Amino acid sequence: MVKIALEEKLPSRLIVRGEISDWKHHSSGHCYFSLKDAGGVLPSVMWASKFRNVKFSPEDGMEVLATGYVDVYTVGGKYQFYADKVEPAGVGALQLAFEQMVKKLKEEGLFDEAHKKSLPPYPMQIAMLTSESGAAAHDIADSIHSRWPCARLFLYPVPVQGEGSAEKIASALRDLNRRRKSLNIDVAIVARGGGSLEDLWAFNEEVVARAIFDSNIPVISAVGHEVDTTIADLVADARASTPTKAGVVAVPDVQDVSAQLAGFRQRLTTQANTKATAAKQDLDIVLAGALFKNPASLVQNAGQQLDELSSELAETMRSMLLEARRRLSAGYEQTVKIEPHRLLGKKTVELSNWHNRINVGANQAINNCRFQLAAQANRLTAMNPKSVLQRGYSITTSKETGFVVKTADDVNIGDLLITELSNEVLIESKVTKK
Amino acid sequence: MTDKNQKENIDELSFEEAIAGLTDIVDKIEQGQIPLQESLDQYEKGMALIKRCRTILQQAEQRIEKITKEQEGQKE
Repeated sequence: MVKIALEEKLPSRLIVRGEISDWKHHSSGHCYFSLKDAGGVLPSVMWASKFRNVKFSPEDGMEVLATGYVDVYTVGGKYQFYADKVEPAGVGALQLAFEQMVKKLKEEGLFDEAHKKSLPPYPMQIAMLTSESGAAAHDIADSIHSRWPCARLFLYPVPVQGEGSAEKIASALRDLNRRRKSLNIDVAIVARGGGSLEDLWAFNEEVVARAIFDSNIPVISAVGHEVDTTIADLVADARASTPTKAGVVAVPDVQDVSAQLAGFRQRLTTQANTKATAAKQDLDIVLAGALFKNPASLVQNAGQQLDELSSELAETMRSMLLEARRRLSAGYEQTVKIEPHRLLGKKTVELSNWHNRINVGANQAINNCRFQLAAQANRLTAMNPKSVLQRGYSITTSKETGFVVKTADDVNIGDLLITELSNEVLIESKVTKK
Repeated sequence: MTDKNQKENIDELSFEEAIAGLTDIVDKIEQGQIPLQESLDQYEKGMALIKRCRTILQQAEQRIEKITKEQEGQKE
């Protein structure tokens, strides 16, 4: 009954303005909240299917415009507001979502200068990530082909708006990074012509921002026109306000570089000439010098030096010789003074005397010894027991024992005896009787 | 460093490498401390690098090549 009454009185579509409170985003995806104003509180719900379209993050305290209808929640017996759409009251939903995303990514440091790569100064392989049909690709190509025709230009076609476009853009960028070895892109340009915040929305999505941040290939963002700033612009390593300007940012002007080369050529040539000239001058100076003019002077100088040294040497030798002679002379004088010949004579006589005396002495000594020897020899001879034998005595020994026989007891009858007579004659005999 | 560069084939240098080598040579020669023979050698090398740079600049590609996403498992 209440339901019918409500349906009659209230328009089927309402826009309610109020402040969000008790915002709960249930795990089911449905959102439960209240809308407040000075007049009251309106319990509300937004189904997941509807909430999916909401680009910003509703928070407690946010002033919003919610479009929907009121109905009775029969189970609880209360009325609720069922929101189909919800928008921030002040600024557009997209704008708010943009601001929220900028804040979030900025805090994470994705926009920091420190993370931005410098663009290669002379890129030879350039990739454009943009729509195949749009004007952006042609504008960039024209710009690059006129400024820097030596570069190879690639187009990686991607949708630049609509459902899923952000994911495709991000995926393309990651793909280029993966194929570094085969494609070797020096710089990538992410581009899109002008449009509304909605049209450009893909370039504000988190997935694109992260793909640009993670890219090892430097990225130039050329999205929209002068007044548009997208998150891609903020994360990219460089940005251009239009696709045409992207060509200027990406590549140098071939005329400037040619002029630079000409400058180098000039400097090299100048230097080479200068050095050659200087070297020649040095050589000329040397050639003009006295030495080259009169090489003989070198030899002559040496000759003169040699002469001077020889004279010096001769002089030195002379004086040394003179000195030696003088010394010799002095020595001679001294020696002569000693009258060595006389001395020698004297000494010879002395020596002779001594010689004689020794001889005499020696002879005498020898003679003495001879006498003594003779005397002793006589005495010894006289004592020789065997000389007794000359007088008729004999020595008898036992043949058996060899002992001398002194008494009869020394022998037995029948023993053999040896008798020594004078002149060492021996006779043998036998004992027959004692 | 200079010796290694001399061994590299000049024809294989990228533009960036060639112009960097050229800048080095010109700076060195202008500083004036190199003996005559070496500065003449460097002059020759500098001229060769300039020629290489000019060759690169003169090539003109006027087309746009298309890249498509690789399929899983497709060889590059």
